[in-house]
Amino acid sequence: MTPREPLFLDGVRSEVVEPIMGPLTALGTDPFEAAEVAEDPFSERLERLRGPSAPRAGLLRASPVQRAPRPRPRRLGADPTPQARGWATTPRLAEVEFAEQSGLLDRFVPESERRRLVALGHLVDGEAPYDRFGFSPSALRAAFPLFLALYRFYFRVRSEGHENIPAEGPAILAANHGGLLPFDGAMGILDVLLHTDPPRLARAIVDRWAGRLPWVNVFYARVGQVVGTRENFSDLLEDGQLVFVFPEGVEGIRKLVTQRYRLQGFHVGFVEQALRVGAPIIPMAILGSDDQAPILFDLKPLARSLGLPVLPITPTFPWFGPLGLLPYPVRYRIVYGEPLRFHERFGPEGAEDARLVRYLANQVRRSVQLLVDRHR
Amino acid sequence: MPAVLVTHADEPLGRRIVKTLFHDERIERVFALGAGAAPRSFDRFLAGSPPRVAYARVDLAKHRPMADLFHSARLREAEIDTVVHVPSHGPSGALASRQRAGSLVSGVSSRTAEARLVLQHSLDARSVTSLIVIGSAFVYRLAPGNANRLCETSELDLDPNVPAEIRSWIDCDMVFHAEVGNHRARVVLLRVPTVVASGGFVYLNPALSGPSGLRLRPVGFDPMCAVVAEQDVAQAVLAAVHGGTSGVYNVAGTEHLPLSVLGRWTRRPTVPVPNSVLRAASFAARVLREPQLRASVEGAHLRYGFSLDTRRAERDLGFRPSYRVGLGRAGDGRVQLETSPV
Repeated sequence: MTPREPLFLDGVRSEVVEPIMGPLTALGTDPFEAAEVAEDPFSERLERLRGPSAPRAGLLRASPVQRAPRPRPRRLGADPTPQARGWATTPRLAEVEFAEQSGLLDRFVPESERRRLVALGHLVDGEAPYDRFGFSPSALRAAFPLFLALYRFYFRVRSEGHENIPAEGPAILAANHGGLLPFDGAMGILDVLLHTDPPRLARAIVDRWAGRLPWVNVFYARVGQVVGTRENFSDLLEDGQLVFVFPEGVEGIRKLVTQRYRLQGFHVGFVEQALRVGAPIIPMAILGSDDQAPILFDLKPLARSLGLPVLPITPTFPWFGPLGLLPYPVRYRIVYGEPLRFHERFGPEGAEDARLVRYLANQVRRSVQLLVDRHR
Repeated sequence: MPAVLVTHADEPLGRRIVKTLFHDERIERVFALGAGAAPRSFDRFLAGSPPRVAYARVDLAKHRPMADLFHSARLREAEIDTVVHVPSHGPSGALASRQRAGSLVSGVSSRTAEARLVLQHSLDARSVTSLIVIGSAFVYRLAPGNANRLCETSELDLDPNVPAEIRSWIDCDMVFHAEVGNHRARVVLLRVPTVVASGGFVYLNPALSGPSGLRLRPVGFDPMCAVVAEQDVAQAVLAAVHGGTSGVYNVAGTEHLPLSVLGRWTRRPTVPVPNSVLRAASFAARVLREPQLRASVEGAHLRYGFSLDTRRAERDLGFRPSYRVGLGRAGDGRVQLETSPV
């Protein structure tokens, strides 16, 4: 500190005023001064550790036991090339790189079907084996043998009109709904998967209440089904996926045996989305689902109080307990109609016209009803 | 060239942000604040004459130290023009230790008190023109379903029964959100989901916060968690520092993982238990005054997942995730969550 001349106030040498030393602070102390470190703390710390006992200059953490160097992480199957963002597509079956598996489940699934499952793995982008909806190709693979057995031997599904399903790009499958448990959805998804090349996974839209059910919500998500919100629907279509809807909603599974194969009123959201994104709507008739669990009565007030969509009386439920809900071994028949390309005529602005959207939804309903009546 | 002040720089996310700012040539100086001693990784940042990074220990939840800080000569000389506030999030951070002591600052959580003081002093400081804040995406109200795509205008969870840990994030979010339209300083609020760091570390997920070990989750539920690499969060902060916009932005990566998988690969395996067990654990957490524990056993985030709509950040900040989150195998054979550049 350099000596300074004493300061005089008004020329009177009465009091010496010391200048304020150090940096000017308005309040308290400067935290950066308080925590001041050496100009080069790295070298200072290094010097401290370099003492006579330090074995090497570069070892910063003195330790009595020499540790092995920390292993560098190695990537598992990392793909360094960025995948261009576009429609989620799967390769054709002939292009699928397929390795023979020896797992127990693989013994029950023919190679052609296993190729399809491998191809579906391409739907999941990136290294994480899940998409943002929770779809996991490996979970689908695990569930596949059971549903394939149901498809082949229990419901003995026959189908026609697969050529109407586009090979790529966004599209909507609109089907009639029936039966208490959604086996019609499962058989529809499986049928699409088994009859398209490149294989397509139909992403079924499920009701919101399914998201509240323990286990069911996880199962649905892992096998590719999606809770029906407007955002989810448009995201799937914009991603170029095939969306599978039951426009009747819960009303479809509430139908009494006297109303079977009579379609209920359609929700209109799917038509709106089809117009916005420019996706064709493929009418689809599923025959057999209305016979798998014929409802004699629906205890609506009790169902409402329990928070259930339906509380049915069937020939087997509730007399046989939960087992009574299982479907009867009816034969399924699935028919795909010709795509309805409303977007080509009305464009995205058509989605803003509520009356038009309602009219088009009724057109789809009529198409599905015609398919049902023709093939029943 | 901007000079940037970063809070909670001694915690994982703060460290990464300081590192990213240090390596950006457009940043003149970085002032790092923390509750503890300077992290060892800062040694090379603090070296050099003059060093481009300065570090100070400050209690952000107290008015006097904050006033000292913003009136200090060095800060005034440097003319800090950007403040990056990273709320406390680390398992051993200042907030965690204060929460363990069960103390509140003036009746509000420490995180909220810090947010208020940082905002107040930043707006009072003449030189500060940008305030960038990291927020949590768990502030949104979650609905049943396997995917809720949440955008910046989605509803916040203002349910009074929300666990205190999440409530403090919501309060912090609202404190800054109220100043987004401020005419003097631009305020950028970045809402991030679960942050994954290299080496199998995970931050900002209320279900997995705290030290490694077993976690509980409701049986029959396994929500999808949006994840983002910590490098991407730092890049988003950098984009916000150099950008000229203000507003709220969702920042997330492209990957999504179920909670069970996320926990398993970050040394926090989750055990599905019935609701009665969760309720008992929640009651115990209340009695023990352990907000982090309560948030890990209670709340909609244990049942319903979400994904974030990041289109606004892409458009305004030019943010695109450049890191992937996936499984990697460490040299000792252990599989863990890793981040890698695309």
